[in-house]
Amino acid sequence: MKNKAKQKQIAIKILATIFSFLIFGLLWEMLVRFSDVGRVMPGPLETLQSFFEHFTEKYSAYTLPEHVWRSLRRVLTGYFFAAIAAIALGILMASYKTIDAIVSPLFNMVRPIPPVAWIPLAILWFGINDGSKYFLIFWASFLSMVQNVYAGTKSADPKLIGAAKMLGANDGHIFLTIVLPSAVPYIFSGLQLGINSAWAMAIGSEMIRSTDGVGWLIIRGMDNNNLLQELVGILAVGIVGFALASVLRGVEAKLCRWNKRGT
Amino acid sequence: MSMEQERDLTKRQMIVCDHVSKTFYTKNTETKVIADLNITANENEFLVLFGPGQCGKTTALNVMAGLETATSGTVTVGNEIVTKPGPERGFVYQTTALFPWYTVMKNVEYGPRARGMSKKERRKKAQYYIDLVGLGGFENSFPNQLSGGMQQRVGIARAYCNEPAVLFMDEPFGHLDAQTRYLMQEEIIRIWEKERRTVVFVTNNIEEAVYLADRVIVLTNCPTRVKKEFIIDLPRPRNYTDDKFLNLRAEIQDVVDKTL
Amino acid sequence: MSKENVKVQVRHLTKKFGDLLVLNDVSFEVKKGQFLCVVGPTGCGKTTFLNCITKLYEPTSGEILLDGEPVDLRKHNVSYIFQEYSAMSWLTVEQNIAFGLNIKHFPKEEVKARVDEVIAMVGLEKFRNYYPNQLSASMLQRVVIARAFATKPDLLLMDEPYGQLDIELRFKLEDELIGLWEQLGTTIIFITHNIEEAVYISEDILVLTNKPTTIKTMINNSLPRPRNVTSRSFIDLREQVTELIKWW
Repeated sequence: MKNKAKQKQIAIKILATIFSFLIFGLLWEMLVRFSDVGRVMPGPLETLQSFFEHFTEKYSAYTLPEHVWRSLRRVLTGYFFAAIAAIALGILMASYKTIDAIVSPLFNMVRPIPPVAWIPLAILWFGINDGSKYFLIFWASFLSMVQNVYAGTKSADPKLIGAAKMLGANDGHIFLTIVLPSAVPYIFSGLQLGINSAWAMAIGSEMIRSTDGVGWLIIRGMDNNNLLQELVGILAVGIVGFALASVLRGVEAKLCRWNKRGT
Repeated sequence: MSMEQERDLTKRQMIVCDHVSKTFYTKNTETKVIADLNITANENEFLVLFGPGQCGKTTALNVMAGLETATSGTVTVGNEIVTKPGPERGFVYQTTALFPWYTVMKNVEYGPRARGMSKKERRKKAQYYIDLVGLGGFENSFPNQLSGGMQQRVGIARAYCNEPAVLFMDEPFGHLDAQTRYLMQEEIIRIWEKERRTVVFVTNNIEEAVYLADRVIVLTNCPTRVKKEFIIDLPRPRNYTDDKFLNLRAEIQDVVDKTL
Repeated sequence: MSKENVKVQVRHLTKKFGDLLVLNDVSFEVKKGQFLCVVGPTGCGKTTFLNCITKLYEPTSGEILLDGEPVDLRKHNVSYIFQEYSAMSWLTVEQNIAFGLNIKHFPKEEVKARVDEVIAMVGLEKFRNYYPNQLSASMLQRVVIARAFATKPDLLLMDEPYGQLDIELRFKLEDELIGLWEQLGTTIIFITHNIEEAVYISEDILVLTNKPTTIKTMINNSLPRPRNVTSRSFIDLREQVTELIKWW
């Protein structure tokens, strides 16, 4: 009986999703058909068709999936190192007052500076090619993650730490079994923020100067007055961003089973 | 309890609080919570500390357990002076202090694991205590899947699993509904009769105190000290509606009313 | 019971969730100004019962009448007090108590007069400009109770309001509640797990069975007030109720 209700809920959800895409497509189609925009802007079906065509057809040197992969590779590399650095620094700052005191003022000053402001310097330091892109992606996602890791590490309940001490746990054991698990939900929301920043920075930096990637696709579309190419690029950005976020949510749901109510 | 055991109780003192006081200092204020506390608990005795609302009984328990340090005076458990938390003293918390990311099994075996016991051995021990508190079958559940009463059972099993000489319980049933609370009172006595330990149990419920205790110590308001002591020599299982029970309850109520 | 004296009528109330029968043909009446306690075993349908009255759930069959008409929360003035202190943290004590009255568009002077009246009754005059986070748990619960009484409700529903309180505070607040009820003559349905509490405060005790919940019996509680929890007659009544629902 309960299963039936659940199935029904899932069915409704799927239908609602399809419905919302249909409505969006319809509005887009109407905009293109009944207004002046239609003279330059392609409709949804044309865009979708072009999207799938470019799985085999090339934009310049690469097909669409190849462009996506090139962007994704930059994102994942920068993001991976940023996550490691952010988790390490966040935990260190939260655990040691001295490190916190030394790093915090500097960090708090640097944090409000939008990552794009570093583009000229990054190019100067790491060259105009992939080096600067890796750095910028790393930097953007690093900045948005550190704070969460720090707050998460600080969030461990003193009562639970007391309980662990009463049971005979030493500091190292307490860190591994109490402090770290308490921080995990915070770290995950940090990772979520980080992947968004990383992806945004990847597209942004590819627009500055590159010969491949989705950002390049979009900006080149604009340069050539090829709106279809732009739209295909935007669609790809949306899909990949959504997929990345879903993967992270899935991993979190698996790791933080205890954080959910009942089953 | 037989006469022989009773004489045994007076023989060995397990916990001794010797002129313990505790003051909390903040920037501009100091609050004296414990005035001068002298308490002894005998081996395997069920001692209940009863006190009004915010009288400092939880602080007293924390000091005995080593979670707080006394401002003056000493606490001795066994032959050792208490200075910090330690596994020879078990603690059951007011609201559940279970580790939410661990299953029931992992919570219960936490202490032995922290002290490096082999997996096989600690699993066996944990299983014994999980069964003892009546949670067999829930080993792989997470705390948030259990009811309040079941969570407190896990807390009790976890404290027992370390095989401490003494157990401190800080109003462990205070947040349960009234009916589950009666059940848990019966349960804690059943468990304690099976696995005797020295228990110091804090409560603000007189009925609960009389139901559980070998001895009830009534504390005064803040800064707290011992007001009066009652030996509860009723046979177990006890009955709330028994005349002797009611008399004792009224007697303690009387002392408490004068304390306030 | 004469017709105009009946405040609440519950007729053949049945609630199913899918195949699960939670409430099974529950019928009873509450007189105007009556203080009724509802007790039952842990996990019986007490909360479902309450949610049917407050229209959170639609009953599967049966009906609930207030003053002879089906309950309509826009027309009838029904107040609830739950276990969680539902004081609004951004409003002062005074504003919290006035909240319900303002929603119902009472004139300004009337609001002020009623707020002053109940604030005095619960002894919070000194704290009228405090915010909830500056108050203790018992004061907060007083604010919530004052807010409920201020609207002079047709019916006051209380779901285990003192469940989380310290036992001394509980007795104190129960005494206050009885005082308020005696002065204002509000009709109260008070749901609790705690049999001692039920015997201490009620005029009548409605005893429910385990799921599927039906009415086991209705007990009249005529113990004189103030009641003594360790007196023989009190203990006997408590024992009688306990025996009816004991599951542990």
